[in-house]
Amino acid sequence: MFLETVVETRKIFGGETSLEKLVFYLLAFVTLVIFFTGLIRRVKKYRAGRKLVGWDFRGGKAKGIEHVTEPPSHGRSLLDVLTHKTITRRKHSVGAAHLLVFWGFIGLFLATSILALDYDIYGNITRIFFGKERSFFTGWFYISYNFVFNIAGVAALLGAALLNFRRVFSKESELDYERAHKPEEGYKRVKMAIGDHIFVAGLLAIIVTGFLIQGLRIDGSNFPSFEKWTFMGYLVGEGWRVVGVGATLAGQIHSYLWWIHILMALAFVAYLPFSKALHILSSPTNMVLRHPASTRVLPPSPIEHMGYQELRDFTHKDLIGLDACTKCGRCHGVCPARTVGAPLSPRDLILDLRQWVDRSTKNPMIFDWEERPEGSGPRNVDGRLAGDVISERTLWSCTTCMACVEICPVGIEHVPLIVQLRRSLVDQGVMDPTLQSALQNIATQGNSFGKSSRMRARWVKSLDFPVVDARKEHVEYLWFLGDFASFDERLVEISRTLAKVLSAAGISFGILYESEKNAGNDVRRAGEEGLFEMLVEGNMKAFSSASFDKIITTDPHSFNTLRNEYPAFGLTAPVMHYSELLAQLLYEGKLSLTKQSKNVTYHDPCYLGRYNRIFDAPRAVISGLGCDLVEMPRHRDNSFCCGAGGGRIWMDDSFLNERPSENRMREAATLGVDYFVVACPKDYAMFTDAVKTTGNEGKITVVDIVELFYESMMGEQLAGVAAGDSDTDIKDGKQV
Amino acid sequence: MKVRRIEKGGALKIVVGMRQLADLVEELEVADSGVDIDRDFVKFVSNEWDEAALEEALLIKEAVGGEVVVIALDEPDVDQTLYSAIAKGADRAVKIVGVEEGWTPTRLRAQLLSKWLKSEGDWDAFLTGVQAADDLDGQLAGLIGATLGVPHAAVVSKAEPEGSSLRITQELGGGTLSESVATGKVVLGIQAGRQAPRYAPITRIRQAMSTSTIETFDAQEIDLGPGPKVRKIYPPQSKGQATMLDGDPVEVAEKIVELIRAKGLVR
Repeated sequence: MFLETVVETRKIFGGETSLEKLVFYLLAFVTLVIFFTGLIRRVKKYRAGRKLVGWDFRGGKAKGIEHVTEPPSHGRSLLDVLTHKTITRRKHSVGAAHLLVFWGFIGLFLATSILALDYDIYGNITRIFFGKERSFFTGWFYISYNFVFNIAGVAALLGAALLNFRRVFSKESELDYERAHKPEEGYKRVKMAIGDHIFVAGLLAIIVTGFLIQGLRIDGSNFPSFEKWTFMGYLVGEGWRVVGVGATLAGQIHSYLWWIHILMALAFVAYLPFSKALHILSSPTNMVLRHPASTRVLPPSPIEHMGYQELRDFTHKDLIGLDACTKCGRCHGVCPARTVGAPLSPRDLILDLRQWVDRSTKNPMIFDWEERPEGSGPRNVDGRLAGDVISERTLWSCTTCMACVEICPVGIEHVPLIVQLRRSLVDQGVMDPTLQSALQNIATQGNSFGKSSRMRARWVKSLDFPVVDARKEHVEYLWFLGDFASFDERLVEISRTLAKVLSAAGISFGILYESEKNAGNDVRRAGEEGLFEMLVEGNMKAFSSASFDKIITTDPHSFNTLRNEYPAFGLTAPVMHYSELLAQLLYEGKLSLTKQSKNVTYHDPCYLGRYNRIFDAPRAVISGLGCDLVEMPRHRDNSFCCGAGGGRIWMDDSFLNERPSENRMREAATLGVDYFVVACPKDYAMFTDAVKTTGNEGKITVVDIVELFYESMMGEQLAGVAAGDSDTDIKDGKQV
Repeated sequence: MKVRRIEKGGALKIVVGMRQLADLVEELEVADSGVDIDRDFVKFVSNEWDEAALEEALLIKEAVGGEVVVIALDEPDVDQTLYSAIAKGADRAVKIVGVEEGWTPTRLRAQLLSKWLKSEGDWDAFLTGVQAADDLDGQLAGLIGATLGVPHAAVVSKAEPEGSSLRITQELGGGTLSESVATGKVVLGIQAGRQAPRYAPITRIRQAMSTSTIETFDAQEIDLGPGPKVRKIYPPQSKGQATMLDGDPVEVAEKIVELIRAKGLVR
């Protein structure tokens, strides 16, 4: 090969015959046909879903909740995609490697597009209209093109090499495709693993051959000096020369290797809509469609029936979300159910649903299938979606802690899907007997304890001051306790402590007495939508009979539904959690508080932290009281669920390897702190039990944040109020 | 009778009698009259044994087809119970109206239900709870059987369809079970179903409320004839207290033997 002129450029086709060019264009055309056919099939699949309608979460929204329920703007989402904000989170090196591949291949895609623009479009237009083919692929443009896209190539090379390296050598549990729910009929996921290797190794092979042919071209054209700007190609060309490949031989090898490179690149494009590579398109789309409200404010059931039972029940967004999954396993890693041996992994759930949808819509995927006997799991297209395709126990294992939604780098919303499937189980009447009796109790008595509603406020009797009935007298704060803080023998003591603090601080507060009902947060998440609505009606009626300015809640679960879900039913009052009120009291400085010097750790309740982003108020209280706060490795948005949420507290947990609360307590025990501070009644119940079952009794004491506060408030009058009197009625952290 | 059943292909028409009772989680109080509990402030719930009877009836229907009809007296919150029975799978619900408010003695209840059963005519089995908090003797099923001249079985733990008949398992006490086959009409007092009563999702109950109606049947004048009359209702009065026996098992056993001897129960 030789240069025709001294212009800084190169031939687009490096000396291929016109037959070869024809073959190339033919192949490129076939590739595009395959690509678009695959893509159209995918889009048709999404259109088999329904449009999400009637989701009125904005209706009459209370002020101050925008930051947890507002969808990010499209610009914001796009920025998150471009900066890999979600992919680099908690896994910086993997994210960085992916970022290199991402930008590298965007660069290379642009490079190819520019070439096509020059050669196929500009070239042809000028030939037709001016009789002579022109090209802008010359001079300074040529040089800067090569320089810039060589950088992109190097980035892609480095990133792809790192990702390959990780996939081969890393022992991370996220890369292990073992199922959490192991079907009796057996399963194999070898093809999925092979698919992953093909994908990352394929990217690496394409980029490596690209540089090799660039080197051969520069070698073959005798290293023109301007090609030094093509620094990587130049270097590779030098490499060819060093191993003894001269200009002529380089030309010969080039014509072979060019075809290998081209065939791989074309094959990749054709492979894309049928493989893991699809995430290049589906994941950013899903990132733009994700909606932080969908887990905090559960979407309604399809209109025709309760919950998801068939393909058309899924929304477009749900279906795109299923395809967005890259099997990265971050949800699998953080899921408390999976961690303690329950048959649920959010990743498995998404993959099973995806395969079921693909099978139902006859959308083939290459190397992205789990091998299962016909009729098992996702291969059961005739069975019940909730119950046969996804097992009942899998669905009931979820604590709705939202750790999966939080960490999913591509914005998949697992929890709403699980709840939709649970709705269909509830509709079939399929559930744990203990959950059934809890729901029946809530339906008849308005509380899960099955006690008379007139017993709800019995805890106030032993206080030496009256607690205002907010239905009779105006109060500033309406205190909504929730079932556990009202009925559980051990927890009512904490409720009394909070009452004493509020009273001492001169806060105007009252309760609803027997009119308060279970707020319904966990009822809704257990899938009993009808009962939830009934509870909302009951509570809204009670609210309208009372006179108050704001609501404070004890239970973060009640807090979530009152704050985020009740506004759609007409609640306009601001809703606060008591830890926020304590922080406010501390900040105002009206109370004289003695300093403590306790060594404590703090557990973020899922529904306070992850769901409602209240991380700082409880911490401000703890450190404001003088305590030395030592964080657990998993804290704030990465807090580890106690296992009680989403109705799990009403269900059997004897089949688990360990309870999530025990796993958490072992984590806390490594810190050497004396106190385990909680801000949720369910946490208190779960963790006081976990302290005993993990053998940490006497080493670490569970205290509620208000107990700490009260101790400081009472100063020396009250030494060690928080020190545990441990034998009470809380058994296994559950109501007996 | 047999001919009709063959025509229906083994499908059975089962009637389930349901009762509303004061919810025992509430603190019950005696009314001013002194002969009834105060019904104004208590919540009423369905009798749990009747729920078991309904479950058994639904299982039979699921196995061989047919119809399940639930019937109850017009008692507080009875609509809730009837609609929830429909939500679970019952086909019809009937309410006997015009009954005097307050407690309905079991004998009267039996007569009222019998009247409807007679007028309905073509049912195959009547199932109801073996007992209720206000009928601890479990008289209802027996009385109905006697009134209608239909065979009756009490303490039934299973009623499984077998051709056009029902194979009935009863608990006879002391761990003995008895099995028998009922051909023709039968009245059963159900002790427990083959499975725990199913859950009726609230959405389904609400759906039942909007799509189905409860039929009514006028209570007829009943002359019960002579019978006992309630003179007074009162909470149980404690007489003495339990004594705890201390010591190791051998000592405790000896003390128990001594006590039994002292009471003259054994020699």
